[in-house]
Amino acid sequence: MENILEVQHLKKYFDTSRGKLHAVDDVTFSVKRGQTIGVVGESGCGKSTLGRTIIHLLESTGGKILFNGEDITKVDGAKLREVRENMQIIFQDPYSSLNPRFTVHDTIREPLALSGRFTKEEIEEQTALLMEKVGLASRLNISYPHELDGGRRQRIGVARALALNPQFVVCDEPVSALDVSIQAQILNLMRDLQEAQQLTYMFITHDLSVVRFISDTICVMYLGQLVETSPAKELFRNPLHPYTKALLSAIPSTDIHNRKQRIILKGEIASPINPKPGCRFAARCSYACEKCFEPQKLEEMSAEHFVSCCRIREIG
Amino acid sequence: MNEIKKEEYLLSVKDLEVQYTAGGEVIRAVNGISFDIRKGETLGLVGETGAGKTTVAKSILRILPDPPAKVVGGAVYLEGKNIFKMSEKEVRKIRGKKISMVFQDPMTALNPVYTIGDQIAEVIRVHENIKKKEAYPKAAALLEMVGIPAERYSEYPHQFSGGMKQRVVIAMALACNPEVLLADEPTTALDVTIQAQVLDMIGKLKTEFHTSMIMITHDLGIVAEVCDKVAIVYAGEVVESGTIEDIYDHPSHPYTLGLFSSVPSLTTEETRLRPIPGMPPNPADLPSGCCFHPRCERACEECKENRIPLTELTPGHYVRCLKTGKEV
Repeated sequence: MENILEVQHLKKYFDTSRGKLHAVDDVTFSVKRGQTIGVVGESGCGKSTLGRTIIHLLESTGGKILFNGEDITKVDGAKLREVRENMQIIFQDPYSSLNPRFTVHDTIREPLALSGRFTKEEIEEQTALLMEKVGLASRLNISYPHELDGGRRQRIGVARALALNPQFVVCDEPVSALDVSIQAQILNLMRDLQEAQQLTYMFITHDLSVVRFISDTICVMYLGQLVETSPAKELFRNPLHPYTKALLSAIPSTDIHNRKQRIILKGEIASPINPKPGCRFAARCSYACEKCFEPQKLEEMSAEHFVSCCRIREIG
Repeated sequence: MNEIKKEEYLLSVKDLEVQYTAGGEVIRAVNGISFDIRKGETLGLVGETGAGKTTVAKSILRILPDPPAKVVGGAVYLEGKNIFKMSEKEVRKIRGKKISMVFQDPMTALNPVYTIGDQIAEVIRVHENIKKKEAYPKAAALLEMVGIPAERYSEYPHQFSGGMKQRVVIAMALACNPEVLLADEPTTALDVTIQAQVLDMIGKLKTEFHTSMIMITHDLGIVAEVCDKVAIVYAGEVVESGTIEDIYDHPSHPYTLGLFSSVPSLTTEETRLRPIPGMPPNPADLPSGCCFHPRCERACEECKENRIPLTELTPGHYVRCLKTGKEV
């Protein structure tokens, strides 16, 4: 399977009054066509910024983005429009990402109308088809977002993202605002659509059980850096980076008979503004040594399982 | 109504019914919820948005806005005394002192124009009737207890991260050593490693101070980690209740089973989830009979007719379903 997306040393810095905020710092990974790459990490780790930079909602500061083998790091005008048709996004909050003055129908037909590729009849036909695909009853055509519950609103978000048949969809916490029973419905829907249309997802979430379910590969981020990337099941079986270990141990488990030992991290996430060189996690890491404050490299520990930690061999 | 013996239960909620009136519609948010908590016990109140969990907690403290909310039936006993029959003055002595609450959203639970230290000190001043100066060391000690350096006493909420704000809110709730802590989704807004810190702290409260707790959450993992008993709430009713072992080892109500199968597993392989079909019911227009019957695959004609009574499956394990125990 070929790589649909390759991200090389991607950087995104924001200017703030106190200096440069390193939101995404030197992130490298690739995604195969038809697969799902999960990006996990806590608030402020740069996972949303990463997704938005890749699809050009934000301009990258450095590095390269290859889409279908083509360098799209710096594109604009008509080329950017073309890229965007192929790369869509589903937002986290189905309450604020929909225009309150647009009906369901208006929202879903808008990308079709804007593309300029369809006749009026085709637009109507496609809109109806999309609604059916995501499980929205056609009677909801004339409903406004405020009349619908979170699950239905998120279905509108999915339909809008898929309207132009994109190849790659960034899903930025698409189920975090939903109740578990509705969350499961949306996750199943996204899986079905992926199979039917050969979609590639980049699934950004902080929910580790969701990411395990939906992803083929998982990237773990901490303060703008990629600390570990691995096939999903392997990551949960054999987490290597001290941060990944702590993160996985912190998930509350429903298994009441086999209590696991939680690793409680000390302190809080540091500021991403003008960070010190080296591993950003070092300040909270119980294994940290002097070497950790030098720049780290991703190292392949087993097949496709990469870790960025200089002490990995010592701590095992 | 028979008064409950003081020694037996610290807090009892009996047949609580709460309605909201909005736009001429009557919304039946809580429809006869009962539970009891002993000293040092933690009860998990589990359910989805709109199930009525927060309304229950607010009724206990009598802080529901009336109108639109109205307690139409039931009682809440604290150490045998009915809170609903107390005067406003008496209740005010209980709030924050004997029973306190941690709200879900730490971003809005704090006053942005007061320093966090002063906000904690205020609780102590009000209940212990002491001067600001005397309250200061106590508030500072509370900050330290929740893992925030006392030097940050004079900082404002916006200078704190979400996890720290939530710990400030918990410090406020604990300021007067309450007997009962109502925790309304205390970690929902937090990251998982910060959540682990907060849960760890809550665990310490249990072992060190024997604080009783009602943990309101939708996360079955959190319940498994901190609770002794569980009540599963659906459409304002307890559909299943029991000890943590009863619920996790022998979940019996179809809704409870649905909740468990909706959450992706952390250990087994699965390609599809088994969600509960449909949507939670509109509380202004609840279905007849069992509120869950439109979403239930076991439902039969009988389920649509009358309110379903609780059945005791094993001692202490109650289920509100006609079908359980019959075919399993």
